[in-house]
Amino acid sequence: MTKTFRMDEAQPRLLDETGQGIVGAPLDRPEGPKKVSGRAAYAADGLPENAAHGVLVRATIAQGRVTKIDESSVSDVSGLLGVFHGPKMTRNPAQGMAGEAPVQPGDEVHYHGQPIALVVAESFEAARDAAQRLAVSYDADTDVITDPSRSETHEQDDPETAGDFEAAFAASEVTLDRTYTTPPHAAAAMEPHAAVAEWEGDAVTLRGALQMLRFNKKELADSLGIDPDKVRILSPYIGGGFGSKLGIGPEAVAAALAARELGRPVRVVMTRQTVFDSVLRRTETSQRLRLGADKDGTLRALSHDDRVSNIRDEGFAEPVSQASQFLYGAEGLSFTQTLARICRTPAGSVRAPGEAVGMLALEQAMDELAEELGMCPVELRLKNLPDKNPMTDQPFSATRLADCLREGAEQFGWGERKPMGERREGDWYVGMGMASAARSNMLIKSAARVRLTGDGAVVETDMTDIGTGSYAILGQITAEMLGLPIAQVEVRLGDTSFPGASGSGGSFGASSAGSATFLAAKAIRETLAERMGCSLSELTLQNGIARGGNREVPLSQLVDGELVEEASVESGSTADSHFSAGFGAHFAEVAVHAYTGEVRVRRMLGVMAMGRILNEKTARSQALGGMIWGIGSALTEKLTHDPRTGHLATRDLANYHVPAHADVPGDLKVVFLEERDDMANPIQTKGIGELGISGAGAAILNAVRNACGARVYDMPATPDRVITAMDAAGF
Amino acid sequence: MTYRDDIRFILNGREVSARDVGASRTLLDFLRLERRLTGTKEGCAEGDCGACTVLVGRLTEAGLIYAPVNACIRFLASVDGCHVVTVEHVSGPEGALHPVQQAMIDFHGSQCGFCTPGFVMSLYALWMQTPEPTEAQVETALQGNLCRCTGYAPIIRAAVAVSRYGTPAADHLTAEREAMTARLRALRDGRRVVTGPDDNLAILPADVDDLAQCLVETPGATIVAGATDVGLWVTKFLRPIGPAIFTGHLEALKTVAREADHLLIGAGASYTDCQSLLSQHLPHLAPYWDRIAGWQVRNMGTVGGNIANGSPIGDTPPVLIALGAEITLRHGSERRTLPLERFFLDYGKQDRAAGEFVESIRIPLPGASDRNAAYKISKRRDEDISTVAAGLSVTVERGRITRARLAFGGMAATPKRAAQAEAALIGQPWAHATFEAAAEALAEDFSPLSDWRGSAGYRMLSAQNLLRRFFLEQDADTTAPAQLATA
Repeated sequence: MTKTFRMDEAQPRLLDETGQGIVGAPLDRPEGPKKVSGRAAYAADGLPENAAHGVLVRATIAQGRVTKIDESSVSDVSGLLGVFHGPKMTRNPAQGMAGEAPVQPGDEVHYHGQPIALVVAESFEAARDAAQRLAVSYDADTDVITDPSRSETHEQDDPETAGDFEAAFAASEVTLDRTYTTPPHAAAAMEPHAAVAEWEGDAVTLRGALQMLRFNKKELADSLGIDPDKVRILSPYIGGGFGSKLGIGPEAVAAALAARELGRPVRVVMTRQTVFDSVLRRTETSQRLRLGADKDGTLRALSHDDRVSNIRDEGFAEPVSQASQFLYGAEGLSFTQTLARICRTPAGSVRAPGEAVGMLALEQAMDELAEELGMCPVELRLKNLPDKNPMTDQPFSATRLADCLREGAEQFGWGERKPMGERREGDWYVGMGMASAARSNMLIKSAARVRLTGDGAVVETDMTDIGTGSYAILGQITAEMLGLPIAQVEVRLGDTSFPGASGSGGSFGASSAGSATFLAAKAIRETLAERMGCSLSELTLQNGIARGGNREVPLSQLVDGELVEEASVESGSTADSHFSAGFGAHFAEVAVHAYTGEVRVRRMLGVMAMGRILNEKTARSQALGGMIWGIGSALTEKLTHDPRTGHLATRDLANYHVPAHADVPGDLKVVFLEERDDMANPIQTKGIGELGISGAGAAILNAVRNACGARVYDMPATPDRVITAMDAAGF
Repeated sequence: MTYRDDIRFILNGREVSARDVGASRTLLDFLRLERRLTGTKEGCAEGDCGACTVLVGRLTEAGLIYAPVNACIRFLASVDGCHVVTVEHVSGPEGALHPVQQAMIDFHGSQCGFCTPGFVMSLYALWMQTPEPTEAQVETALQGNLCRCTGYAPIIRAAVAVSRYGTPAADHLTAEREAMTARLRALRDGRRVVTGPDDNLAILPADVDDLAQCLVETPGATIVAGATDVGLWVTKFLRPIGPAIFTGHLEALKTVAREADHLLIGAGASYTDCQSLLSQHLPHLAPYWDRIAGWQVRNMGTVGGNIANGSPIGDTPPVLIALGAEITLRHGSERRTLPLERFFLDYGKQDRAAGEFVESIRIPLPGASDRNAAYKISKRRDEDISTVAAGLSVTVERGRITRARLAFGGMAATPKRAAQAEAALIGQPWAHATFEAAAEALAEDFSPLSDWRGSAGYRMLSAQNLLRRFFLEQDADTTAPAQLATA
C-alpha cells in the first residue's frame, strides 16, 4: 500500500542526522563507466530484430491543408513498407505534464516543418529516399502570419498587479523605460529525438527519449486511443532534454501507429534538422521594463510587460516575468503578457522557461537603473530585497540572496571594477557585470519504491536521468537512509512499470523523486526500528549495521528476504503558506574587441543557495552547465526564421550557435552556500538545473556595457550589434 | 585489369570486407545499423557536434597515423585500407576503463552522456599525440565536439589530467602498431575498387594516373576528397552523389613540400597534413588554421576540396589568393595552371571542365619586403563558418607599397580580390592615411549580402576594419595591439 505524504509542515532534517555521510558527497555518477565506453543505450541505439525504419515527412508550407499524399510516387522504392498519415498523427510534442494527446490536426498544416506522414521501409536509406521523394499536394493559405510583430491575433491577460504602479512610477525621482527583445531559442540537446515502438498483442512498448514518463504514458495512450495500462515506456538514458523531451513527440506516436499497422517494430530517429523544425522552441520575446526609484535607490515601481508567441491551439505562454514578480519589492508592481498567434514551430518549455529570458531583461534594466542612479549595481539589489513575495505576501521559505550577492562580490573582486570604458588592454576593453539569479521552486507528485535485502537496496521509479544525476542522488538518499555503502544500492529508472515520479523538468525532479525515495526508505527504517525493538529516534543505521535498544545487528540478519516500501509525496499547505525559490548571484568579466565588437567571456562566478545539496559534484555540473547557457543566450544563440515562409533558416548546429569550448572561460566557478529549505519538501532541497542560467546572461551583458559602453537591446549581442552599440555610445 | 569490388578495412580488431558499398553510404550508418556498434552516436549528421567521432588510422610515409574524424560524413568506401577504431575498442580487456575514460568520470566530464563517446575519442587521439596537453591544446583538439550539459570546464580538466592515469606507451593501439601496420599493408593490392549499385557507384582509383583515367571515363562523377562538404550533400540535402570517385586514399595527392621558392600542396592534403609546413613558412596562417572548423574536419577536409567546391565562404581561397597561389588542373595527362582567383567564375561556377580535377596548389613564398595577414570573422569563434574572411598581402619597398593583393571571402558570390582597394594602396606610402583610403575604396569593390551571419553593413565595416587592423599590426611605429591570449 503506497503511503502518500502531503507537505503540510516542516519536517525534521533527518538527512543531517543519519550519519552515513553519503548525502551531499561529491560522488561519481554510477552510470559514468557505461557512458564513457559507449555502453549506455539511448533510444536510437535500439534496433529490435525485424525492425523497420521510419522517416518523418514534413510540411513545406506554413499554413493550409494537405490535399493529397501520393503514395504511388514512391511505389518504386524497393523495401518500402508503407506511408502512414491520418487523424492520429500529432502536430508537435506535448507540452510538459500535459498528460493528454498533443494537437492532432488531421490534414491541416499549421507550421512549416510540421510532420505530416511517416514513411517506413526495410532500410533507413530507403525510408529516407522515399520520404524525400513522396509527392504531397497542398492547398496553401496566403497571407500567413509568421512574424509575431505582425500578428493580429493577440491574447492579452489582465495585468497582474500589486499596489498602484502608474502612480508609483509617476512619483519616482528616477525612471527607466526600456524594451529588450530576445530571439527564439532551441534546446539543442545533443541527442536527437528517437523512438522504437514494438507491439505485443494490444500493448505497446516504446523506447523513447523522454523526460516525464508518468505523463508521457498517458499522452501516448491518448494519441493512439488506447488504455494507458497498455503502454510501457522505457527511457533509461536520455541524451539531454532541457525541456525538449518533456512531452510525447511526433516520432513516438508515428512509430507506434506504424508498428501496430505493420505488426513489426518500427524505429524513428529525427534528423537534427527535424529536431529544430518540429520540436518545441522557446518563444521570441519583446519585453518592456519600467522601473521607478528614489534617488537613494529605493525601488518604487516595477513593471514588466512582455509579448511572446505560440501557434494556434497551444496553451503554453513563456512566463517571462516570473522572477520579476518576486525578486524585488516596490510599492507599485504590474505585469502584463500578450500572446501572439503565429505560424512557426510551436513554442514550449526550454530550460528555465520564464527566467532564462525574463531575467536577461530585468537584470539589464536593474543595471541601467544603477547607472542612472550612480549606484553600485550590487548595492541597488541589496537595497531592494523583499522579505516576502511582494505579489502574494507569502514569506520566502528560505532565501540567502543577500549573502550570495555579498559573497559573490567579495570572491569575484567586484571592488576592482572600473568605471565604464576605463579598462583597456591593447585592442580589448575589459569590464565586469553582475546579476541576481532566481528560479521558482516546486514539489511535484512523485512515487518511488525501495527494496531492502540482506545484500543491499534497490530503488525503482519511473523518474528519468537526463544527465542531471538522478541515478546518483536517489542512490545516495537511499544509502544514507538505510546506512549502506553506496555500492550496495542499485537505482533503476526510466521504466513506466515502476512507480510514477515527477519526471525531469522545472528543476523539480531531484526534490520530488528524491522525497519519494526518502519517504520509502524512511518507512523501511520504521520497520527496522520495530524489529530492533527500539523507537525510530533511537535507531541508527550505518555501514550495514543497525543499532538501537542497546543492540547491534547486521542488516543481513535483520532482513529476512526483502523489505519493500513504496511512498508517494505531493505538495501541501506549505506551498500556500510559503514561497520557495532558489537564489544566487552571477558575476562576469568580459573583454570586448575595440574594432570588431567580438565579446570574449574571461571569467564567471555563480554563488548560489539552493537548499540542501544532495551531490556536490552533480549539483556543480548543473550550475556550470546552466551558466554556459547564459553565455549562449547573451552572445550566440538565435533561431532565425525566414520572414516569407516561417521556415527556420538556422536549423542545424552549424548555424544555431551553442557555445563551443573556446567560448567558455577556463575560470568558471560555482560556490554553494549552505541552506535548508524546510518548507519546500521533506529533504529540504530546491531545484538546481535552471538557476545557473537565470540571470547569467545579464551578468555578461552588463559586463559588456561596463567594458565598452555597448548596451544591446536585441539579443544576442553578436559582434555586429556590439560594434553598432559601441559606436552609439561614443566608443 | 580486374577491379576489386569490396571495401577492405580493419574495424577495431577485425578485418572487414564489405561488398556492394554505395557511394553515399556513411561509416556511421554502417557502424550503428549494420555492425550494431551503437556507442558512436549521431548528433547532427554534418560534422558539427562530434558525437560520432571515431579514429581512422591510415598508412602514410611517416607510418600509421590515427586521426579523429566524423563518422557521420565519412563515407564507408573511403576507409578502404584503414583501421577504424570505435569507442567500443577503447576499454581494455574485461571492460577495464581507459585512462581517458577514467579521467572523464573522475572530473565529471559526462552528464547526459550522449556526446561523451565522441569526446572520449577526440581525447584519446590527443593523448596519443600529446600526452600532457596544455589547456589551449585541449581546446583546439575539442573544437569539433559540442556539449550542452557540462559547460566544458570539467572536460578540459579531465583532458589535462589524463596522463596521470596512464601513458600512451602502455596503450593497446601503441602495442599493436607494428602488427596493425603489417595487416594494413597486406590489404593493399594496388587495384582500382569499383563497388555499389549502378546508380550509386563508388570508385576508388588505384593511383593518381588512374584517377585521371577514371575521370576521363566518367567525367560527370562526383569527386570526393575529404567529404566534409560532399558528406552534407548526402546527409542534409539528400542528394544522390553516384557515381563518385574517391581520392582520400591517394597518398601521392597528399604531397606537402617546399620546393625552391614555393610550397607545393597536393590537392588531397588535409588541413592537418599541411598545417606544420604552412605554419613554418607562412606563420601568419598558424592561428588562422586553428579556426578552420574542428579537429575532425581538419583531419578529413582538404585544401584542394575547399578550393574546388567554389564556396564564397571557404576559409582557404582568400588567404591563398592573397599569397598569389596558383592551381594546377589535370585532365587525362594534360595539365594547366592558372592563378587561383581566375578559377572562381561565378557563384557555384568554377573553371573546371568535365573530367578535370584539381591536382595541386602552388604557393609562392613571400619575399622579405612582404607583409601578410589572414583574418576570419565569425559569429562563434571556433567551429564556425566565416562571416568575412580576408587574406592581405602587400610588398613595401622603401616605405612605399609596390604590390598589394587583398582577397576577401563572404563579400561577394566568389572569393574575390578588392581591385579598387588594391589600387588605392599601390604606389602610396605605408601610412595610416593610405589604409584609410583603401578602406574607403573597399566600398566600391563589394556589395555584400545580408544574412543571419551578418548584415551587409557589418560585413563591409568589418572588412574595412581588417584593413585598418592590418596597418596597425604591421606598422613598426605603432604599438602592436595586444592580443587576448589565443594560445
